Amino acid sequence: MIPHAPILAILLPLFAAFLMPVVGILARRRGIKRAREWFAIAAVLAELVIVASMLPAVVGGQVLVYQLGGWQPPWGINLAIDGLNLLVALIVVGISALVAIYSFVYMERDTGLDQYYTLFLLILAGMMGVTLTGDIFNLYVFFEIMCISSYALVAFRRNWQSIEASIKYMIVSSLGTSFILLSVALLFGQVGSLNIGDLMQKFGGVVPSTLIVPLGLFMTGFGIKIAMVPLHMWQPDAYQAAPSAVAALFSGATTTVGIYAMVRVVYMLFGILGVGMILAGLGLVSMVLGAFMALVQRDLKRLLAYSGICQLGYILLGIGLGTTLGIQGGLFHLFNNAIYKTMLFMIAGTIIYQVGTSNMDKLGGLWNNMPVTAMAFMIGALAISGVPPMNGFASKWTIYVAGIEEGQYVFTIIALVVSALTLAYFLKAFNSIFLGQRPKHLKNVKETPISMLIPILLLAALCLVFGVLPHLGIELVRPAQEAVMNSGGYISAVLGGV
Amino acid sequence: MEFGPGFWGPIIATAALLLIVAVTWLILIGGRRITKAKPSDQKVQTYACGELLEAEEVHADSELFFSPIRRVFGPFYRYVRPGHTGILSTYLFWVVVGLIIILAAIAVVLW
Repeated sequence: MIPHAPILAILLPLFAAFLMPVVGILARRRGIKRAREWFAIAAVLAELVIVASMLPAVVGGQVLVYQLGGWQPPWGINLAIDGLNLLVALIVVGISALVAIYSFVYMERDTGLDQYYTLFLLILAGMMGVTLTGDIFNLYVFFEIMCISSYALVAFRRNWQSIEASIKYMIVSSLGTSFILLSVALLFGQVGSLNIGDLMQKFGGVVPSTLIVPLGLFMTGFGIKIAMVPLHMWQPDAYQAAPSAVAALFSGATTTVGIYAMVRVVYMLFGILGVGMILAGLGLVSMVLGAFMALVQRDLKRLLAYSGICQLGYILLGIGLGTTLGIQGGLFHLFNNAIYKTMLFMIAGTIIYQVGTSNMDKLGGLWNNMPVTAMAFMIGALAISGVPPMNGFASKWTIYVAGIEEGQYVFTIIALVVSALTLAYFLKAFNSIFLGQRPKHLKNVKETPISMLIPILLLAALCLVFGVLPHLGIELVRPAQEAVMNSGGYISAVLGGV
Repeated sequence: MEFGPGFWGPIIATAALLLIVAVTWLILIGGRRITKAKPSDQKVQTYACGELLEAEEVHADSELFFSPIRRVFGPFYRYVRPGHTGILSTYLFWVVVGLIIILAAIAVVLW
């Protein structure tokens, strides 16, 4: 492991974000082209190396505890890395690296790229902070950094639609973060600690009924961020208005971090209260509503946003079942969802980049113009619909089996039907965009530029690899599943016998 | 890997799927060779309510793609869809409703 890797993983993007304007000014003065883009890509790749360096120790069963200032938890702030948050950190930094490469060409027509890359690195710092911290107040602070950066990124293009979406997102999301802060204060008042490990240990002595309000506020706060029904309404507006690179980052990385926070705080911290079935129930509602709303969308990005709500339902259902297989399936689906959802938003971005619209009624017959992009879209659509041999099938199948093993036949049947609906609305999207008669004005549309295709094809390859070899995915999420089911190891590692 | 009772061999299944794709493609190519396409003006003209349209002007409305499903689930779309029209106060109303539902669900689970 690289020395001080846990704190470096947060500090590197944070400092890189504040250096970005300086890099932009210097590059303009010296006439260096693309300096900002290269700087951002280098920072994210360095981040990837730092996070990956922690992998051997965590896969070996260790919980890495980094004490800031040498203060012993629970009095000092600490970073605690187990299998769960390392998996999330890898997803976040991997998706961020691909989005940085994709942005290289996708954002070239925009102005104000100093701000874009500053915000991009700032949101990465926020996401890494939420993921790696072992302290619930710091989790809130980093969550705010992540959210505030995301409001600005949604409004980045400064047209009326993006500003309106950003303001709505900001107001709804601020309500959610206020709930989280209030809940942190209530927990501190009741338990007298902010350290997650310490809170887990002390929860045994707390009267359960006094935890209803903090748990409800946490669930609602994180539920808004992950767009869980009925807290989801901001998401289609924000994803439609944001640049597609930003929407790809949100759907692949930010949502993953939100789900991590939900699992770490709501499921693991309050696990004694049996919140699993509440999560599973809300997941089921999310998948049904997401699928039915996606069926009637005209805009590809709105369709993908509703599809994201639908897929979130599968993740919550798997984790909510609470069995080894269910949690494995849920986490595997979390991983897979980050892959194909990022790819599909990137493809939506390439269509907007080449055609100028994501309105499916104005598209059609693009298969001949963009065959590689069309093939990648087909792979993503099949993967998200759970069609074999794609990765989505492996994770959904695991969730179905877990549901049947738990005796939740109704949940499983609904999940199966929603999977068919997912295929239906993606067939509609594929047909509307790539098949049928091509409108005259699309005659000269060209294939996606190669630097935008590279991350798309890499993600498409991952859809195939983790579908054909699903045991790789299961092995990848196994340390995370063990961490979710063994909070005792986390507590003893963090508190170290205190 | 095992997925409970039954058998799923992803590599075998993938190979079988690829084989089926190859056979289907061969049948398609063979069919095109035997029966060549013979387009005529009458065949390719698009007729809509008394008007002749250029092929490039015709595009299925994506929202109506699954109109039977919309009809079957009419009440869902009638009551749920208006909540997604971008009005901020409606969004905030549903956040409050969500909080109440979650608090009630937790209370039910606890007692």
